Amino acid sequence: MRCKAILRFVSAAALVLSLGSATTAQAGDAVELTIKPDNIDISASYRGTVLHVEGLAPKGSEIVARFTGAPADLALRQKGKVFNLLWMNLGTVHLQHVPTVFLVTSSQPLARVHGDELGLAAVHNGIKVQEQMANDLDLAAELIKLKQQDGLYRETTGGITTAENGRFSADLRIPSRLSPGTYAVEIFALNEGSIAGSVSAPVSVKLVGMPAWIDDMAKNSSLLYGILSTLVAIFGGLAIGLLCQSKGGAH
Amino acid sequence: MNIPLYMYLPIAGNSVNMAAILGLGGAVGLLSGIFGVGGGFFMTPLLIMLGIPPTVAAASDSNQIIGASTSGTLAHFRLGNVDFKMGFLLLAGGVAGGCVGVRVIKLLRALGNADFLINLTYVLMLGLVGGYMFYESLQSMRAPKTSTASTKPARGESSYQRGLRNLPWQMDFVRSGVRLSVLMPLGLGTLVGILAAIMGVGGGFIMVPVMVYLLRMPMHVVVGTSLFQILFTCVNVTIMQSIENHTVDFILALLLLIGSSIGAQLGTRIGKKLHADQLKILLATLVLVVMGKILYDLLARPDVLLAYAGGH
Repeated sequence: MRCKAILRFVSAAALVLSLGSATTAQAGDAVELTIKPDNIDISASYRGTVLHVEGLAPKGSEIVARFTGAPADLALRQKGKVFNLLWMNLGTVHLQHVPTVFLVTSSQPLARVHGDELGLAAVHNGIKVQEQMANDLDLAAELIKLKQQDGLYRETTGGITTAENGRFSADLRIPSRLSPGTYAVEIFALNEGSIAGSVSAPVSVKLVGMPAWIDDMAKNSSLLYGILSTLVAIFGGLAIGLLCQSKGGAH
Repeated sequence: MNIPLYMYLPIAGNSVNMAAILGLGGAVGLLSGIFGVGGGFFMTPLLIMLGIPPTVAAASDSNQIIGASTSGTLAHFRLGNVDFKMGFLLLAGGVAGGCVGVRVIKLLRALGNADFLINLTYVLMLGLVGGYMFYESLQSMRAPKTSTASTKPARGESSYQRGLRNLPWQMDFVRSGVRLSVLMPLGLGTLVGILAAIMGVGGGFIMVPVMVYLLRMPMHVVVGTSLFQILFTCVNVTIMQSIENHTVDFILALLLLIGSSIGAQLGTRIGKKLHADQLKILLATLVLVVMGKILYDLLARPDVLLAYAGGH
């Protein structure tokens, strides 16, 4: 499969733009990346997938692999205590720079390789709260908890193999709860606590087949969609009602 | 043939276990067929637990209820349990009430603390209705048959009943076996419509007790007529949600529908075998369980202090 990769310079490392697995890396200070598959098609049978990432990093470095969605603004309800007794929604808060998805895996625990800044801490530091309510609740931390419950944020160790010569491979588990859009796979090579190199490549997620058809109709012919949904429900209900009667017989 | 167990739902943006959705639909349909309630109260939170966003869960549930209530209404119609005249009058009131309710909620939001008022009204309402139904049906189940017969006419002569007889535009409701002023179903329908709009629910939980206690309709006709009304309410919600928010997941609704229509048929048959008092006490228990759940949510500290906008 053809593979597209975008390359970034980070620190002093010289990075190689790679196209497909045919590209070979030069010296030990480059990070090279191939992703399979390089885009995700969501058909009716989609239930999450695994992205297989392979590449070459500077020798002896630890690998951090991330799958991230584009940052967006998000409005959420904040809960709090009323009259010191009842928990309920107090109002709406607006957060900015919230990645839709943020999945991180690393060959060693991030704390051990001084890579904390690459994990969920990066999300925590990046989120901007537009207006804070009259309490000191850490909204970014609460958001991370909420997204973790949904399986959209994750920080794990493992799924990465590294070899002596700097070759690595990583399996990124992509959740079933995924919306169409452009996501990014990012690889960071960590050497003694500093980033020796990094590379990122876009992964496009799109709906195909029945999901694409339904999504298009729901958004572009919404009145028709609503009426059809109603009619199908009525006829479905009638059909099952009649079917049950003929089987029941007695009535 | 190899039937896939999971399916990706484009509007919900997640893949679900089809067996779980069918089973969930079946369980809620069963309740709907027995008691004439929409069941949105159980369905929406359970769907959220299965990974469906709250707004999509609520809207798709309305779509599903259309199917279940069509199926249930048909089954009850065959048993002679649907009072169309009463149903239409309550519905007319309900639509008017719904419009008023939407305004009221806007006003409450502007005043602040709307959620507090809504939750509190709900808990009180469910507690009162559930408690009263439970107590009343327990009394009549315990009482020997003869004494029930002797207390009934006495209750019939209450000032409430006398007041009802003095209202203008009296009309016979043959199916329900009652004679009432047209104003009663219209007025009560409006009231329930307002409450339902404010609380963001279908209103079955409030409508059923209103028909039993205030309109004095027989329990079995109440169930059938309530289903008939829910059908119309949910058609409205489904179309509005499709247009304004694109939150109706048709595939999710279809899966739920298959489960719930079968459940509703089964429920109707179970309901038919139950005595009216048993039916009332079971519904009362259900109402109290729902109240308990809401109360628990209000009192226990949530795991996460943020929530996506749009749920109940």
